[in-house]
This record gives sequence, structure tokens and C-alpha cells, in this order.
Amino acid sequence: MRRRPGIGGLQTAAAARDQYRILGENVAKLRTDLMKEQLATFRSQLEEFARKHKNDIRKNPTFRTQFHEMCAKVGVDPLASNKGFWAELLGIGDFYYELGVQIVEICWATRPHNGGLINLQELCTLLRQKRKSDREAVSEDDCLRAISKLKILGSGFEVISVGKRKLVRSVPTELNKDHNEILELAQAQGFVTVDEVERRLSWTSGRATDALDTLLDEGLAMIDDGHRDGKRRYWFPCVSSISSSVVSDI
Amino acid sequence: MQKLGDFKLPQFFNYPPYFTYSPTLLLLSNFGRPVRDTREKQVQLWKEFILDYCRTQKIFVIELEEEFPLFSNHLIERSLSNEAREAFLSALVSEGRAEWLDRGHRKCLILWHRIQDWADILLHFVRDNGFEDSVMTVEEIRTGVESRGTENHNISSKQPSAILNSYQF
Repeated sequence: MRRRPGIGGLQTAAAARDQYRILGENVAKLRTDLMKEQLATFRSQLEEFARKHKNDIRKNPTFRTQFHEMCAKVGVDPLASNKGFWAELLGIGDFYYELGVQIVEICWATRPHNGGLINLQELCTLLRQKRKSDREAVSEDDCLRAISKLKILGSGFEVISVGKRKLVRSVPTELNKDHNEILELAQAQGFVTVDEVERRLSWTSGRATDALDTLLDEGLAMIDDGHRDGKRRYWFPCVSSISSSVVSDI
Repeated sequence: MQKLGDFKLPQFFNYPPYFTYSPTLLLLSNFGRPVRDTREKQVQLWKEFILDYCRTQKIFVIELEEEFPLFSNHLIERSLSNEAREAFLSALVSEGRAEWLDRGHRKCLILWHRIQDWADILLHFVRDNGFEDSVMTVEEIRTGVESRGTENHNISSKQPSAILNSYQF
């Protein structure tokens, strides 16, 4: 704008600024209103969707996973609070809290056997056995969600990936890289020998026995001296559980 | 699930390391707790297994060095060492659920009823059959006509003496 001299010019400039400001406010207000409206629509749509598919969400684990993914994309966490309308609508919070409690129970019960590290698959199988009366299916995704909620308790529940598998840890053991590599190696047969560890990972025998002894100490490994070849085998219940091997036998 | 006769074998029976008596590690004793857990669990499972099996199959005496179906699993080619057998049976003995019949710990009487319970069973048996205040031989208690269908039928010949000892307060 061309600057005009004198008082009149200043006044005009001030008036113009005011005009602009008012216009700007109007536009902003319009936008906010629109946004609010959109959000309200979205929320009601989501609610309606949830209400419509309530049963699917409860009963069908695949559908539930997809619903969770959708919620995550738009930044809604149906598990964030047990008091929100999600909980009232779906009872979904309770579902995961219940799973969480049952997961803790299973981890504790199997701890003497597996040293506090359990295969996610096995955990799911046990969970389903435990909830037999309850027709709602439980997927691995549900387990993971329930476990992620347990983290808040600070009790050291954690999911770790070893090789292709996911293991759930319920003891505050720190596994270093060596231990992880041994666990990964053990996934093939369920056990390893010192020889095998040395050969496959190109470690010195000291490093191998040291790592294996620690795993033994933590209760994650079990010794088996009974094989014909006379070589000591270290079995890992967390990667090849008795129950899963027997379940596949049935 | 694998079965032995009509007895359902527990899951751990197919997991090889349960046939090796868990060692107690001496190194890093400050982390020693989980290892003891593993061993405790192992002993506990074997104890229950032996008791269950003996109860359902009516087995009274286990001889350590003889072939006993629970002590080896041909499917996975594992069997318990004598040390392990003795350890598991000793655990039963320490709970009053078994008794060594010899000093060398080679023969073990399994008490799936505790001695006290056996005493009650015998007492009931005697009362039910009207043998109170009369003389019975051990043989009659074990194999007499009246004993058929009762718990004490074919009871181990070693057992009555142990039970009767408990009567002599």
C-alpha cells in the first residue's frame, strides 16, 4: 500500500489494520468451528461404528486388531482410560486388564520351569486354555496390548524379539547380545551344545560356557546329560516348551 | 498325549532335561535362586508323578536298580540316573510319603496313603468286618477273602509292619 502523508493517512492505516484483524479473527473462528464440527462428526461416527460393530470387536480378534490400528492412526487410544465412553461402550478396557492379570498369573506359574521367559505363542495357548469357559478368542495382538499396559506397573514385563520369535520376559533379567544369540540358535532344535555354540557363532569355548552358565544360573536353561553322544545339551524351555511340543503331538 | 497303560503321562516326561538331575551351581551364588527354583520344580514334578502313578497302579515298592516304567522314556531315549532316582525318592521320604526299606537306599516303600491314613484304613477294615479283639495274620489282611475290593488288598507285605508299628504308641 502506498503510504499517504498526514494524520488522515495514519488513521486510515490503523483502520485498515483493525479491519484485517477482525477479518482474520473471523476466518480463524470459522476454521475452528469447522474443525470442531468435523471432530464431533468424526467422534460420533467412530462411536456409531464402535456401537454397530461392538460384537465384532469383542468376539473377533482380527477385527479387533484392525479397529485398534484404525484408532491408533487417528490418535485415539481406547485403552487410555477405563472410564471413557470406550470402556462403557465396549468393555474393552476390562477385557485387557483381565488379560493382563491372567498373563501375570501364567508367567508366575511357569517361572520355575522357564526362568521367567516365555514364548508368546505358548503364552497365548496357555491363556486360551485358561479362558476356555470364555468364548472370546484371544490373539497374539491382544496379548501384546495387554502386556504393554502391564509396563506401567514397572514390574519388568517386556516383549523381546529373538530371531523370528517374540518372547515375554517377566523377570528383570538383562540378556546381553551373547545370550540372545544363543537363544536364537536354540530355536532350531530347542537345545544347544557348547560345541555347537562355538562352531556356529565362532566363539571361544570360554565365552560359550560363560554365557551358558549364566543362562543356567538365571533358570532359563536346563541341562540334559542323557543323550547317547554324551555331549551335554542345554535346553531352553522358553523357546521349545514341553507343552507346545506335546500340544503338537496330540 | 502319551500314555502308560491307562495312566496319562505328564508333559514334562517328554522333555529331556527333566531326566538330568539339575545341578546346583556354585558360581555366582548371588544369582543362585532361579537355579534352585528349577531344581525344586523338577523334584516337585517327579514326586507328584511317582506318587500318582503308584496310587493308580497300586505299586507299593520301587526298587532303584530294577526297571521301573517311569524312570526311563524310550521315546526320547532318556532315563534317570541312580543318583536322580535316589534324590527324588528321598524327597518323598522326607515328606513322609515313602520309606527306605534298607540302609543302602535301594528299595523304597511308597506311601500314597500316609502311614497314619493306612492305619485308619486298616482300623476301618477290621471294624467293618468284625475282627475287633481277634487275631489276624498279616497275610489275612493282605489277601484274605474280606480284603478283596478294599484298599489293603495286595498291600505290600512290608507295609503292615510299618503301619502296625505306628499302633504301638
